[in-house]
Amino acid sequence: MRSVKRGFRSFYRHPLRNLVVVALLFVCLAFSLSMLAVKLAADGQIREVKRNVGNYGEIKVSSDYQMQVFEEQRGMSRAERQARARTMSEEEQQAQRVRFLVTEETADALAADGAVTTYDKVLQANIGMKGIINPAMESMLGLRSQMRGGPGGPEISSDSFRFEGNTNGASASDFLSGRKILTAGSLYTYRDYLEANPVVVVEKNLAEENGLDVGDTVTAYISGASGKASEVELTVVGIYETVQAEEQSEGGEFAQFNPAGNTFYAPLSVVQLLNGTEGYVTLGSYRFDSVDSTGEMEAAFAGVTGGDGRFEFSTDYSDYRAIADPLQKTARTSVIGLAGALGACALIILLAMAIIVGGRTRELGVLKAIGATDRQVIAQFAVEVVCICLAATVLAAGVTAVVGQRMGDWLMSGSGGGAETAVSAQEAPNGASFAGGVPGMPGMSGANGGGLYVVSSHEQAADLHVVYRGSLLLYAILILFIISLLGMAVPVAWITRLRPARVLSME
Amino acid sequence: MEDLLEIVGVSKTFRTKAGEVRAVDGVSLRARRGELSLIVGASGSGKTTLLYLVGSLEKPDEGEIRVFGEDICSPGADLVVYRRERVGFVFQMFNLVPALTALENVALPMDLAGVPASIQRARAVELLERMNIDRRLQRARPNRMSGGEKQRVAIARALANDPEVILADEPTGNLDTATGQVVVDILAGLAHRDGKCVIIVTHDESILKVADWAYRMQDGQLEGIDT
Repeated sequence: MRSVKRGFRSFYRHPLRNLVVVALLFVCLAFSLSMLAVKLAADGQIREVKRNVGNYGEIKVSSDYQMQVFEEQRGMSRAERQARARTMSEEEQQAQRVRFLVTEETADALAADGAVTTYDKVLQANIGMKGIINPAMESMLGLRSQMRGGPGGPEISSDSFRFEGNTNGASASDFLSGRKILTAGSLYTYRDYLEANPVVVVEKNLAEENGLDVGDTVTAYISGASGKASEVELTVVGIYETVQAEEQSEGGEFAQFNPAGNTFYAPLSVVQLLNGTEGYVTLGSYRFDSVDSTGEMEAAFAGVTGGDGRFEFSTDYSDYRAIADPLQKTARTSVIGLAGALGACALIILLAMAIIVGGRTRELGVLKAIGATDRQVIAQFAVEVVCICLAATVLAAGVTAVVGQRMGDWLMSGSGGGAETAVSAQEAPNGASFAGGVPGMPGMSGANGGGLYVVSSHEQAADLHVVYRGSLLLYAILILFIISLLGMAVPVAWITRLRPARVLSME
Repeated sequence: MEDLLEIVGVSKTFRTKAGEVRAVDGVSLRARRGELSLIVGASGSGKTTLLYLVGSLEKPDEGEIRVFGEDICSPGADLVVYRRERVGFVFQMFNLVPALTALENVALPMDLAGVPASIQRARAVELLERMNIDRRLQRARPNRMSGGEKQRVAIARALANDPEVILADEPTGNLDTATGQVVVDILAGLAHRDGKCVIIVTHDESILKVADWAYRMQDGQLEGIDT
């Protein structure tokens, strides 16, 4: 205790000298702690991104296969195609209908992999509706007809609507991401899917134009069926509105023309019935435990499909890379900066203590000559070192809270991060980020939902959030401990080797 | 008077680049309580080495140094306690701790010995007043003091733990004649009034008149001088 008091007294009785050392240490420590804060933030965000991006995959018919089929058809004339269609057996017609779909069996088999945490199955189809009109689509088709001078294509008509089915309405990516929100009623449930309950969720504008409300029924046609058995009564259980389209319009005008928003959402089993493709889905969507399981999932996919080129397994791994790469680069750069700054800290404290102790050799000799033990003298100098390091660390920790974020922004800008990264990630080649799937697919709709997480992760990637966290203080204490120990090494070595007679003889 | 300090056949050799230097060569000496012993000699004669041997700052190669019959050169001797409590040093360069006030410098040996703070302070004030260091100077640091004041503070520090032996190495070396005389008088008083065993090494032979015993050191060997 007396040594502590003596050390503390010695610390504040040498203000100028200690101030210089504290200032030098402070600069290096502030840089070290800022780098550390950036590293911790980057690592934390990489972990978060790993949890939410890059761990989404979809099994679907490959684009190569689709191109191959289109090429075959293009080689035939229209008359040949119609003649062939007329001669097709029922089995051949069914095969034609499901050629771009995946069997549920295949989708379920892939879901059995241990890495999969949640999965869903999605079917998108165009379904004819009885007595429901789509004024926006009618005006668009009318315009097209006038321009071409002929009727519109057979696959698009004003009474044909896009249906999207999955196993649980709440996990449909559009609803999970908030692009579409329920304004009345409720979404269909997993039970509705299991029991194939004929329920549907309708878009708000379409509902208003057709006088539909929750509890009303609409009639849909089963593809490929005829007569009374081809009609299915669907009960409207919910009405939604499209948020994203309105936001994009900035004036709400775009929302008035929104044919894409007229999608009907229904249980997968109901859409399968209406499309005449029971047992088939457009895609199986999977969320697995981590981006690190991508390889395992691809191997499982190869095992399930037998390497058949007809199917492909798409992931949002490129999204992960687009988001994580700048973060990882920033983390690496910050480690280099941290190491350099810590090295400078070590050098400063060693040199400073060498100068301080060297300049006080006579004092050391006198202390030993008047009966101070090595331990007493070392303890006194240890307190001085700790006071110097503590003052520098406290100041540095305070400054880090102010400059940490700026340092992070600076490193991110040098690592290709920032807002531009977010944009490029959103426009990633496979388009998985916002659509939640490959282009043209209805999007991911796993029970955990991919879309929402991908969006939020992009927002995280846009800015590195250097949060002042408890672990940083713990690291600061550890650094303080280490540099204090280093600083003490000089007086310890000096004091234990010092011979007072030799020092005092130099008069 | 009883023998307090007994030096028997002590030698010390230093190894230098130029070869071995026998700084102290078979020196024997007795010093008693209440007596001032003076060792004079030219620079390099070995007198300071002899003083450091007595103060246990150096270890002799040969011989014995006994204080009250206890050999301080024996392996079991507690030299830290010896330096702290039985011997007090006064140096030519004063060697006060620059960051400490006069009061704190005097209290330092007591602090190292674990004396309670209140006692430290009272004794330090008493010693400094005895050395005619006023209250204002007691709170001053050494850089605000004259040479004589510093040396008196140094003597007070040497007396802090009330040692039996006071060792003074050229105590007047950095002082003018008048101030030097004051310091010599103080040291003589410590021997003759307080019963301390005072040993002064110096090249200033004017101190001879206050010494009870005087020796001349030459080439590491000691010979008596008639005082």
